[in-house]
Amino acid sequence: MLLTLILLPIAAAFLILFSSKYIQYFLSVAVLASGSYYSILLFTSAENVSFYLSSFFNTVIIAADIVLLLYFLYQGKKYNSLKVIVLAAVQLLLFLYIEHVSAGHSAQVVVDGITKFTIEYDTSSGHSAEIAVDELSRFMFLIINIVGGIIVLYSVRYMEDETATPRKKQLFIAAMFLFLSVMNTLVCANSLMLFFFLFEMTTLASYLLIAFRNDEVSRTNALRALWMNQIGGVVILLGVLVAVLGFGTVMFDTLLQHSGGVLFLSVALLSMAALVKGASIPFDGWLLGAMVAPTPVSAMLHSATMVKIAPYLILKLAPALGATLLGGVLSITGGLVFVTASYLALSRFVFKEILGYSTVALLGLMMALAAIGTKESMMLAMVLMGFHALSKALLFLAAGVLEKQYHLKSIEEMSALVHRAPKTVGYILLGFVSLTLPPFGLFMGKLFAITSVASLLRERPLLLIVLVSMIIGSALLVLLYFKVSSALLSNPSDTLSAEEERIPYGFSLPLILLSVLIVGTGAGFIVIQHDALLALLALPLIFVFVLPWIMRGMERYDRTEPYHCGEKEPFDTALIYYEPTIRVKQMIYWSFTLLFAAVAVVGALS
Amino acid sequence: MIWIWIAFAPILGGLVYGGERVLRARMQRRQGPPFLQPFYDMFKLLDKRTLIVHAPHALLAVAHFFALWFSVAAIFLGWNLLYIVFLHLFAQIVLILAGYSVRSAYSHLGANRELLMLVAYEPILILVAVGFYLVSGSFDIAQIVRGGGYLAQMPLLFIALLMIVPIKVKKSPFDVGEAHQEIVGGVEIEYSGMFYEFLYMARFLEYIFIYSFVFIFAGVSYALGAALVAGVFLLVNLVDNATARVHTMHMVKIIYAVAMSLAIANILWIVL
Repeated sequence: MLLTLILLPIAAAFLILFSSKYIQYFLSVAVLASGSYYSILLFTSAENVSFYLSSFFNTVIIAADIVLLLYFLYQGKKYNSLKVIVLAAVQLLLFLYIEHVSAGHSAQVVVDGITKFTIEYDTSSGHSAEIAVDELSRFMFLIINIVGGIIVLYSVRYMEDETATPRKKQLFIAAMFLFLSVMNTLVCANSLMLFFFLFEMTTLASYLLIAFRNDEVSRTNALRALWMNQIGGVVILLGVLVAVLGFGTVMFDTLLQHSGGVLFLSVALLSMAALVKGASIPFDGWLLGAMVAPTPVSAMLHSATMVKIAPYLILKLAPALGATLLGGVLSITGGLVFVTASYLALSRFVFKEILGYSTVALLGLMMALAAIGTKESMMLAMVLMGFHALSKALLFLAAGVLEKQYHLKSIEEMSALVHRAPKTVGYILLGFVSLTLPPFGLFMGKLFAITSVASLLRERPLLLIVLVSMIIGSALLVLLYFKVSSALLSNPSDTLSAEEERIPYGFSLPLILLSVLIVGTGAGFIVIQHDALLALLALPLIFVFVLPWIMRGMERYDRTEPYHCGEKEPFDTALIYYEPTIRVKQMIYWSFTLLFAAVAVVGALS
Repeated sequence: MIWIWIAFAPILGGLVYGGERVLRARMQRRQGPPFLQPFYDMFKLLDKRTLIVHAPHALLAVAHFFALWFSVAAIFLGWNLLYIVFLHLFAQIVLILAGYSVRSAYSHLGANRELLMLVAYEPILILVAVGFYLVSGSFDIAQIVRGGGYLAQMPLLFIALLMIVPIKVKKSPFDVGEAHQEIVGGVEIEYSGMFYEFLYMARFLEYIFIYSFVFIFAGVSYALGAALVAGVFLLVNLVDNATARVHTMHMVKIIYAVAMSLAIANILWIVL
C-alpha cells in the first residue's frame, strides 16, 4: 500500500507527459481515488511498518542529493545570486563530510541488493529502518493524498487557461504528481539523510513551480524562496552532523531514544528547519513571494501540504521536547508568530497574500502546540493541520477561480463580488467561517487548544505567552477574514436580479469535494468527542439551512433603499488596513531573528 | 424553573434596559421615559409597516437575536464558559455580516466598528474564563457557581471585565458601535419595524449576557452576585454620564494596553 502511494503518482507523472486533456483528467481522478482509498486503508489499519532500503538505493539517494545541490549551485551561478551559491556550497561540503563520517561510524546492514525494497519488521539491533510508517505518517498520508489529489485534479483545469506551451503544462501537472510522491516518502522517512534529500526536493519543487511563469518577479521570488529554504537545509545538515558525531546515528528514532549530551542541540537545529519551512517570521518573505506562482502551487505547496512539514517535523521531534526549555522557546516562538503574522496580514490587499499570511500564522500555532509536547496538544496540532489543509485548499482554489474567471487578485477590486460571483463568494465565506466559527473543525481545534494550554498553566507558567497569543491571534484572524468579507459582500438591494454564475466543472468539482470534506470531517470530529453540549454548538447553523425557506416568506415585506443622509450619490466605503510603522516592522523582524537564534542557543546550552 | 428564566430572558433584559433609562434620567435630573418604555416601544415597532433592504439582511438580524438568546440560555444552563463566549462570537459575526451586506456607508462603518469591538473584548472574555478555570478547576458555569472567593483571587480580572462592560452595553466612553451622532446607529440603521424589534431585543440579551459574567464572580452567594451586578450597573451608568466617547482605535488600544495587562497579571498571580 505504501508503495502504491509512492509509486502511483510517479507513474501518473510519467503518463501525463504523453496524454491529452481528457486522459489528464482521467489520470488525476484515478490518482485521487486510489490515493484516498489507500491512505484511508492505511490510516485505519493502525499498523506500524518499517522498510529497509537496499545499499544500492542509499547510494542512488546520495548521488541524487549531490546532483541536486550541484543544480542549486548552478542556478545560483546562472542568476547571479551569491546567497544561493554560498548556501549550496555550504550544504554540499556538510553533506560530503557527514557521508564521510557516518560511513565510518555505523556498520551498514546490507539487505538483498537485487530487489529495491525488502520488507522487514524492525527487529535488528543497532541499525533501524530508513523508512518507518507511524501514526503521524499515516495521518499525513490522508492530508497529502486526499487534499493534494484534489488540488492536482483542479490544476488540470487550471492549466487549460494558462498561457504556456502544451509541453510546459504537461510538465507542470507531472511536477504536481511527483510532488505528491515526494511528500508521501518524506512523511515516512526515518533516516535523517533521506529526510534531508526529500526536504531539498520540496525546496526544488517550490523553486521550479514559483518560477513557472518565468517573468522577472517570479524569478526573484523563486530565488528568494530557494535561498531561504536552503537555510533550512543547512540547519538540518548541522543537526545531522551533531547527531552523527554525538550518537553515531542518522535515524530519527535512534536519535530520540538518546537523552542528554548534544541531543538538544541536534533537535534544536532540526526544529529550526521547521521554522524555515513553515515560513515563520523572519522567513515569511519567501511564502509571500511564492504567491506569484499559479494558484494550484500556492494551494498545494504553500498551504495544504508542503509547509505542513513544519508542524510535522516538530511533532516528530516532540518526544524530545516535552517540558524542556527548548520546547518552551519553540512553542513561544510559534505562538508569537501566530499573533504577529495575523497582525501583518491586516495590511495586505492581495487576496492570496492574505491567505499566505494567515497560513504562516496558523502554522505557527500548530508548531506551538506540537512543541508543547503533551499527548493532547500534539493531537490538537494534528487536528489543526488536517482542518487547515482542507479550509485553506478551498480558499486558494476559490481564489484561483476568481483569478481565472474574473481576473481578480486584489480585495480592493472585489467589492460587490457577491453580486457577480455568488457561488465563489459562498465557497470563500465557507472557508472563512470554517476557520473561525463553531461548529467547524478548525475552530474546535482552537477551542480545545485553549482548554489544553490553560490546564498546563500551573506547571508551566511560560505557556501563558502561548495562551495569550492564541487568544489575541484568533481575534485578529476574525478581524482579517471578516474585513475581507466586507469587500465581498457590499451589495446593492436584492431588487436587482443576480446573474447566473457558471463555474466550470473542472473547478467546481474540487471545490464541492473540499466543502463536503470540511463539513463532514467537522461533524465527525464533534461526534467522536462524545460531548452532547459540543454538538449543540452546531445549533445556530441550522438557521443557514432553513434560510432559503424563510426567504420565500420575505416577499411580503416592502423594499426600501439604504439611508444615505440625503446624498444623492451613494458613497462607497473603503476597507480598513492596519499597518505597523517601518520602525515597528524592523523591530518585529529583529526580535524574531533573535528568537530564531535563541532556539539554537538554548539547544546548545541545555 | 430554569426554562422559565430562559424563556423570559429578553423580557428580563428589557426591564434592566428600562430601569437603566430611568436611572440615567435621574442622574441627569430629567423626567425620563417610563420604566416599561422598552415594551411600549415593542408594540409601536410591531405596529409599523416593515420595510427591508433585502431578505438576507433582515433575516440575519433574526439570526443574531436567536443566537444570542441561545448563548444566554447556555449561561442559565450552566454550560462551559468558553463555548458560551464563542456562541456569542457567532452571534456577533452574524450581525457584522448583516451590516456589511447593505450598500450603506453607515451600516458598513458600524460593522467595522462592531468587528473592532469584538477584537477588543473577545480576548478579555476568554481570559476571564481561563481565570475561572484556574481558580475553580472547571470551565462549566454550573461548577463555577458552586465555588467562591473569585473576587479575592481575580480582582484584576474583575476590573478588566468592568472595562469591557461599557463596550457590550454600548455606553460611553466605549459606545462607538452605536454612536448616534456620528454613524446614526451603525448596523442598526437599515432596520425598521419588526426586524428592528429583533435587534432591540438582542440588545436586552446583551445586558443579560455581560452582567451574567459579573454575577458569577460572586460564586455561590447569589446575594453578593446581585450586589455586584447592581454596583457595576450604577458604576457603568455613572461613567457613561461623566465621559465622552473615545475613538474606536483608541478604545482597542486602551483595552489591549490596560485591561489585557491586568488580566495577564492576574492569571500570572494565580498560577505562580
